[in-house]
Amino acid sequence: MAAWELTSRGLNVLLVEAGKKVNTTEVLHSMEWPYDHPRRGQMSPKFHALSRNEYNIRNPPYAQDSQYEKVFSYVQGWGGSDYSKTLVVDEKDHPYSGTKYAWVRARALGGKTNIWGRLALRLSDYDFKGKSHDGYGEDWPISYADVAPYYDRVDLLLGISGVKENLPQLPDGKFQRPYKLTPSEVQFRHALQKMGRTATPYRAGVTTDGVTNKYRSKCFGRGACSRHVGGCDIHAAFDSPTGLIYPAQDTGRLSIRTNATVHEVTVDPATGKARGVGFIDTVTGKSYEARAKAVVLAASTLESARLLLLSKSRQHPNGIGNSSGRPGGFYVPRFRNLTEKQPDFIRGYGFEGEGGFGIGPGEGADAPGFGKAWKKHVRDYAGAYISMGGFGEVLPRYENSVSIDPLIKDRWGIPVLKFDYQFGDNERKMAADMAQQAQEMFEAAGIEVVSVGKNLLTEGWSIHELGTARMGDDPRTSVLNQFQQSHDVNNLLVVDGSSHVNASCQNPTWTIMALAMRSCEHLADQMKKGDL
Amino acid sequence: MEDRRIEVTRRDLLKAAGVAAIAAPLVVGEPLAAAAAAAAEAPKFFTRGQWALVDELAEIIIPADDHSGGARAAKVVNAIDGWLAEAFEPDPKNRWVEGLARVDALAREKKGDAFMQLTPEDREAVVTIMASEEAKPASVEGKFFNELKRRTSHFYYTSKIGIHDELEYKGNVLQEEYAGIDVSKEGTN
Repeated sequence: MAAWELTSRGLNVLLVEAGKKVNTTEVLHSMEWPYDHPRRGQMSPKFHALSRNEYNIRNPPYAQDSQYEKVFSYVQGWGGSDYSKTLVVDEKDHPYSGTKYAWVRARALGGKTNIWGRLALRLSDYDFKGKSHDGYGEDWPISYADVAPYYDRVDLLLGISGVKENLPQLPDGKFQRPYKLTPSEVQFRHALQKMGRTATPYRAGVTTDGVTNKYRSKCFGRGACSRHVGGCDIHAAFDSPTGLIYPAQDTGRLSIRTNATVHEVTVDPATGKARGVGFIDTVTGKSYEARAKAVVLAASTLESARLLLLSKSRQHPNGIGNSSGRPGGFYVPRFRNLTEKQPDFIRGYGFEGEGGFGIGPGEGADAPGFGKAWKKHVRDYAGAYISMGGFGEVLPRYENSVSIDPLIKDRWGIPVLKFDYQFGDNERKMAADMAQQAQEMFEAAGIEVVSVGKNLLTEGWSIHELGTARMGDDPRTSVLNQFQQSHDVNNLLVVDGSSHVNASCQNPTWTIMALAMRSCEHLADQMKKGDL
Repeated sequence: MEDRRIEVTRRDLLKAAGVAAIAAPLVVGEPLAAAAAAAAEAPKFFTRGQWALVDELAEIIIPADDHSGGARAAKVVNAIDGWLAEAFEPDPKNRWVEGLARVDALAREKKGDAFMQLTPEDREAVVTIMASEEAKPASVEGKFFNELKRRTSHFYYTSKIGIHDELEYKGNVLQEEYAGIDVSKEGTN
């Protein structure tokens, strides 16, 4: 988004990417039938995907001493792992340490946007002004009204599908035609309406009516989103290469340097300002420095934090931007703690779920028995299953943090990130309520509940890392200002999820996009005025 | 001579596969079945005897019926064989070799002969015994049944027959109008 916004405002941009450029159209093969792949879409058995159990029984680095040729995070344990294996990182090359954390990383042009879950939600003032609402944490230095015009622009630029619901906790967007619901989902929606709750068609960052972009097609409605760790090779789902980077390149003002792992933000010794970035060519191992008038980091929240902490200089002995000492840590929209107040926990959660036919029989095949009667049972019930999973807000806490591990280095000799991060009491109590409410809502819809999972997944599982360099008006308690600019070094910006003051339970991608657009518009204005 | 005999047997087998579930006394001797299978596909991991046994067990779990073909027609045994052949760890290979040996031992214990020598009714009776602990398997045969069913089900429902004939899946193709029910006109809460 930064490259797109800045080049569209006439600035010259160098995009430095740690991974390679992957032609996802050639890699993802999302229309391939399982039986046309020699392993039904699975990657070679020489490669290993970490299991939930492996995350639970030991601490990172998880791939240490592994016999497998490559080790990937848990997402490669999903179907179609052979198609996404070139996008995600090999844990052997990219270790990390500390407390248990399921850290999913993609190193390729466009990063995780190549395989994201597509749920494109807005935050509301319940999120931006959480402290004013319940007294916990900090308010953001901005409100929904500041971000709304940028959400609108992102909607129109990238395409989003959804149904307007007029909910204060989940503002509507500029929607293209929505996805339709299956019968079980409609039954569920109607039951929730009676409870004053909502099950709205998946608000997807997918263009269903098309956008003005020659690299992207509108959605075919194939129902194939859940395959291949989510990649979309017709690019109806937003991904940054086709949605933003290639169009930015077409302006003639964007240069791209791939296979370049940035290990520090370099500093001008005279001014203390950011001078550029130091990077290692991941193929040759040679070191380079790229210089610029301003540096915009968007390496993903935790990688950006690592980079900031690694950028030590005479002026910034604790790492750049770190003078505050605190970098560190069908959709059912939230219905908790809006107008009522829960006795056990603050904030809320939403559910993502689906029901109806998939490419396989789903849970139906778990029915006991075998033979003709079992086969018919599986066939008869194939489209009847509905399920959902809860996503709750993890409270921002100063005791949860990340730091640099001086002892462990990645394949290129760069010190790795060390986690000190754990769920707390609020998360555990909220999760118990989630399980109970999920069961009650399904039962209210006349749906027989087959199973309820009550255990929290390992920290990190949702892949929504946020808030390691939070924004605020006070340089003593925040790292960035409201335009995601370092308080200490005004020509350094961090435009991924690092600046989020609290996580909200709404998925963060669309907010990251809207804020990056807003910040880069501001940066371009400042540069034109010579304010930097 | 040898070739022609195998050809004939294969044709019979294919024909039999289509009606196996309803034809009562269909007994195919192991050597013939194995020879036929071998001529069709060379096993990469299983012995010919194991191949025939897995092929039969898979077909008992997901048989052909008047709606669609079963595990045999979907070549589930080929997929299991291919998967085991390239397994990185010894564990699944050992589990399958041990499990298949146990199936024959159980068949001898309960019905007096190796599994493939039994009548279809007796074979099904042996599988019924194996399946009796499905909810909480403890014995070797109980655990192996769950493994067998899980793999058979996976490879069957990802096969051409499983997806298109059995479940009649209509997705993964362009839909001008998206499938489902439009709730956008319903109004809000």
